[in-house]
Order: sequence, then structure tokens, then C-alpha cells
Amino acid sequence: MIVEIGHILLIGALVISFIAGFSPLLRFLTKDNFYYMVIGPMNNLVCLFIFLSFITLIYSFLVDDFSVAYIANNSNTLLPTYYKFAATWGAHEGSLLLWIFCLCLWSTTYFFLNRQKDEEFVALTLSVLNQIIFAFIAFTLFTSNPFERILPIVPIEGADLNPLLQDFAFTIHPPLLYLGYSGLAVPFALSLSALISKKIDSVWAREARPWSLLSSGFLTLGIALGSWWAYYELGWGGWWFWDPVENAAFVPWLISVAMFHSLIVTEKRGIYKNWSILLSILAFAASILGTFLVRSGILTSVHVFALDPERGVFILAIFSYFILGSLIFYSFLNNKLPGRSTYNLASKEFGFLLNNVLLVILALSIMFGTLFPLIYEALNDGDQISVGAPYYEILILPFALALSILQGVGLYLSWSSTKQFNFLNRVAIESFSIFVILSLLVFFVFGKLSWGTFLAIAMFSWIFSGNLVDATYQSTQLQELKSILIKRFGMISAHLGTAFLILGVGIVTTFSLERDVVLEKGESYKLGNTHFIFKEMQEAKRLNYSFQSANIEIREEGLIDQISPEKRNYLSSNQVMTEAAIKPTLLQDYYVTLGEQVGDGAWSFKLQIKPFIRWIWFGAILIALGTFVSSYRHVKRL
Amino acid sequence: MHPLRKQRLYVVLSILFGTATAAFLVFKGLSENINLFYSPSDLKEEKISVDTQIRVGGMVKKDSINKENNSLRISFVITDFEEDLLITYEGILPDLFSEEAGIVAKGKINEGGIFIANEVLAKHDENYMPPEVAKTLKDKK
Repeated sequence: MIVEIGHILLIGALVISFIAGFSPLLRFLTKDNFYYMVIGPMNNLVCLFIFLSFITLIYSFLVDDFSVAYIANNSNTLLPTYYKFAATWGAHEGSLLLWIFCLCLWSTTYFFLNRQKDEEFVALTLSVLNQIIFAFIAFTLFTSNPFERILPIVPIEGADLNPLLQDFAFTIHPPLLYLGYSGLAVPFALSLSALISKKIDSVWAREARPWSLLSSGFLTLGIALGSWWAYYELGWGGWWFWDPVENAAFVPWLISVAMFHSLIVTEKRGIYKNWSILLSILAFAASILGTFLVRSGILTSVHVFALDPERGVFILAIFSYFILGSLIFYSFLNNKLPGRSTYNLASKEFGFLLNNVLLVILALSIMFGTLFPLIYEALNDGDQISVGAPYYEILILPFALALSILQGVGLYLSWSSTKQFNFLNRVAIESFSIFVILSLLVFFVFGKLSWGTFLAIAMFSWIFSGNLVDATYQSTQLQELKSILIKRFGMISAHLGTAFLILGVGIVTTFSLERDVVLEKGESYKLGNTHFIFKEMQEAKRLNYSFQSANIEIREEGLIDQISPEKRNYLSSNQVMTEAAIKPTLLQDYYVTLGEQVGDGAWSFKLQIKPFIRWIWFGAILIALGTFVSSYRHVKRL
Repeated sequence: MHPLRKQRLYVVLSILFGTATAAFLVFKGLSENINLFYSPSDLKEEKISVDTQIRVGGMVKKDSINKENNSLRISFVITDFEEDLLITYEGILPDLFSEEAGIVAKGKINEGGIFIANEVLAKHDENYMPPEVAKTLKDKK
């Protein structure tokens, strides 16, 4: 019964979102403002329906209603309650409902923040959002309905949630990522609304900015969490694989970052209007394409849920409707957008331009590499290829370098034209000092240096001094310093975040140690300066799996810790899974994966040392923090 | 030059420069990092140089897994139901590697026609076959 209620609520939301989405057409025909006024309330009703529908699905998971196909395939009575809850978005159908719910949260937030504003503009924005909601509900209902029953024979037991997903990080990774993905619909809707009502000005730019910042922030957190999850859960110690699905989230992230930078210029100087609008369309396109890549199963990926061409065609139709449609609107409605100010090469405007050119070209090149296997297959009669990680590594390095250089000087460029260049001197001296100190420290800790590390430290020092040190140095009084730091907190935090991230990436890629070994009980292996000693094996059982675990002692000068990598056997699915054991410290992680028994009392192990890996995620958190603080300030200012 | 025109020139130049750099890197990256996929039957038909890194895939044959005691060396045979291919690998295998599982291996083929893998992938889902393998098996069956 509960399931049917959820199903009906979803159908109700489909109908109402359709009416809300196309209500402006009625307004156009009748000139009756009533058709604008109803959009807001209808939007909230859609949100309420989706919320309740989502709740019924969660409830059905909690009570193990295996008459529902989706639940039978993705849950199990043995599953701990918390994971039953999170299993709601453990596969395709439920995660789509989550996607829609996230979008509804955004549209309703938008409504409540803008109730008192320009009626037409708000109504148009909400109608675009409701068209998107409508399209995704239709997709869910017609191709991937989570409420579908298996009748008449109801299974007694469910198939279980993939053991890899039975993990805390997984439970919050999809919601964060989806908040980011769907959040990009808001700037998109604002752009369309501005195009239609011919209000592309700094007010529009100011309104679009917090939304693009928020989406960026959630994407950052979602991606970082996914990377962290892959690191400790997949058991290989990798933190980024250039997997199509990772790229599918990274590309919208890059474009959203480009977008909120471009919106700064549009707001302050009244230029780059066309570009900002185009970016908001591109960002939403990347967001749908991301969904498409994950859902359609056309690309090889660890994340692939479904292999169903019908879904692919449906999403392609949604994609064409929104993206081609908005591009047509754009080309007909944008042509009279005068740019006012002029600028020369050494100006903030040009700095932002370079930032955007770099970010967008990088995003498109990554997209190209991700889609290239498809193109190749189509052109070469079904020959299949994959594009290796080095492709992306070659690509990203020069772009990261150029963006870092910009980040270090961007703050001190003036609008229109920069007269004073003495900041270059200071930043150079400061960053050089930091560079020398850090290089010595790294050499002291690791006993070696490499080109990769040098480069990473150089980029770190440059960004660090350009954003923090020089601002500190310039202010003569504590009061002044405080006000600068508070005023620029969002930006400084995000920029320093990228600096820490780059430092972490540079060091972990050049200094990681890794070795597959066979150890007998009591035997030890020396990796770098660290001894790994295999003490003993244990066997036991937990709630829904049995496991074997090895006791490994880590020693350097003294004992560092004892850790226990596990090999689990999940009872309901009979699936074997390794659970790596990690000892994190500030400077490096010790990482042990248990292999299998390879002889009498001998086991294989993968031993790894991962220096500075934590700094990557620490950097990502700083970036997200920066975007959240900035967007909060912009919302308050609206 | 008129400032506005000069400004436009900067914009066009920087976009051109960025695009050219990216195009060069994309071209270079793709020419060096594409790994072609072969099924065991494809390998019988085509001669592949011993230096080329390729990917092969198929189903692990029953009773073909051969492990050495106290070592990480392993050999096994994959099949697409027409031809077989012997693969050797040294290291820890993924959890889902087992008899009759679909796998993909990356590596090079030696003069003796044995595939020396440096990476073996088995997907993390019991019902799931790597798409390439699924396609190969479907074609041959």
C-alpha cells in the first residue's frame, strides 16, 4: 500500500511539474498574470510530493518489502538498518529519485529566497526548473521505476546491496554529488529566464553567482568523498583513476568554477555576459551528460549500474531538448548585449579570461578523452579501445601550471589596467623563500627530491604567497589584516585549498612506495624505512559477513601501530571483498591489503606507503569551505 | 590600434593558443595511450608486436588457474569459446577473479604467444561482465 502511495505521489509530481513548467505559455497566450502566480506554489507542491514519495521508498527499504523489484535487488534482511536506509540510493532507480529530490530542494530554496522579487523573472526561472524536474520524473517512471512490484511471486530474501557500497562514505557521497549536479540547473534556469525577459545585467550575474558557487562546493565535496572512498575501499590505494564516471563529475566541476569566475566580471564590469550565459548552458549540459555517462552503461566503468539502451535514448532526448533548445534561445535572444568597459593585457578582466579559457579547454579535452572510445568504436567498425590515465596526466599538467601562476597574481591585478607591478617582486621573493624552506623540509623527511615534487612545491609556494602571505604582509595593523582576511576568506580558503591539493598530488605521485609480497607468520618486509611484520591470522564473523584478518605490525624506529587488513565473505551474496587496513598519519599513510593464502601459513600482501595523501582531501575541503562561505555572503547580499 | 579591437585580438589569440596547446596534448596523449582491446580469436588472426601494450579479455577457463607455492606468480587461460590465451601475472589479483569470471588484462604478448599481464581487472559486481568481454562472448556464442 505504502509503495502505491509513493508511486501515485510520483505521478502527481509529474503532472504538476508539467503544468508548472509550461504555465508561462498560457501566460503568453492570455496575458493573465495568474499563470505566473501559480508556478511558485505548484513548485513547492512538487517538492512536497517528491519528498513524500522518497520517504515511502526509504520506509519500504527499512521494512524489507521485497515485493518491490528495486528493493529485492538491492537490499537484504541481514543488512544493518543504516545501510538499508542508504541502499535507497544504492542503484540506478533510487538514485534518480534522489537526483530529482535534490533538484526540488534547490528550486524550493530558490523560491523562498526570491518570493518578494520580480514576479516574471522568478516565475520563468521556476518554470524552467520544473520542466527539468518533469523530464527526470518522466524518465524515472517510464524507464526506471523504483516502485515496480514483482508479483505474484514475492522473493523471501533480497539480493543484497553491493558490499563495496556498504560503507559510510558511500552513503553521503551520492547526495553530495547530486546536490552539485542538480544545482547547476539553477544558473541554467536563471540564464534562460534572463534571456527571455531580456534582463541580462549585473543583477542577474549577482543572483547566478551563489548558485554556481554552491554547486561547485557540493561537487567538490562529492568528488573528494568519492576519491577517499575509492582509496580505502577498492583496496588498491589509488585515489583517482580517470575513470569515465570520475571525469563525468570533474568536467562539470571545472566548468562551474569557470562560471563563477566569469560571473564576477559580468557583475563588476558588465562584460562577458554572453560567455557567462554560454557557460551556464555548458555546465548544465555537462551535468546531464554526466548523468548520461553513469546511467547508460555505454562506457566501461566501475560505477556502471545499468546496461539499457532505452534509457540512453531517453536521456539523449532530454539532453537535446534542454541544451539545443537553450542554445537556440541563446542565439536568437542574446545578440544585443553591449559590453561597456575596455581592458588591456595586464588587467583582472584578462586574468579572468585566461582562467576561463584554461578551465573550459581543459574540461573539453577531458570530455573528449572520455568519449573518444565511443567515437573510435563508431569509426572503426566496432574495434574497442580504452584511453589510459597517462593521456589525462599529460593533459592536466600544463593547464594546472598555468592556472596556478594565475592564482598567485590574480589578486593584485586591477580592473581595466594594472599600473603597479611591485607586487610581482614581493610575491616572487616570498614564494621563493617558502619554496626553499619546503623543499628542505621535504628533503629532510623523505631523504630525496624529484622534479614532480619541485614543481608541486613551486606551485604551492606561488599560490600560497600570492593569496595569503602577501595580503598579510601588506597590512600594517592587526585590525587591517583581520578585515582583509575576513573579507577575502572564501577566496583565500578556496585558493589555498588548490595549493594544498597540488602539493599532495605532487608528493604522493612521486614518493609512493608499493610492493606485493608473500609473508609467512612472523616474517617481516622492509619497504623504505618501514618494517611490516606479519603476526598472525584470525577468523571471525560479524553481522552480515564472515572474515579473515591478518595482524600486521608497523615499525620504524619504534612501534607505529598494529593494523588488520581483512578479507570478507558476505553471507547473502557470497561475494568476497578485501578491506584494506590503513594507518593514517599527518605525513604519510601506511596501507596494507590482504591477498590470499599462497602456501602453508604464507599469505600475499600488498604493502604501500602513501605520503601526503591526506593533503589532497584536506585541500578539497578548504575549496568547498571557500565556496560555501562566499555563496553564503552573496545570498545575504541579495 | 583601437583599444576595443586590440582587446578582441588578445581574446582571440589567447583562445587560439589555449586550443592549440590542448589539441597538441590531446593528439600526443591519444597516440601514446590508446590501448586496443583484443579477444583471443582476434589475437590468432592479427600479429601484434611484442612492444605494444594491449588489453585482452575473456572468461577464465575452468581448472586453468595455476598458482606457485609461496610466490605471487600465477598463470591462467582465458577463452572466448573459440580460441584460448595463456596469461601470466605476478601480483595480487582482484577479489572477483575466479574461474568462469569475465576479466580484462592489460599487458604485452611475448614471442611465444603468452600474454604477460601487468594489470588484471575483474569488475566489482557479480552479475557484471566488462562490456568488451560481454560483447566478445556474445559474438562467439
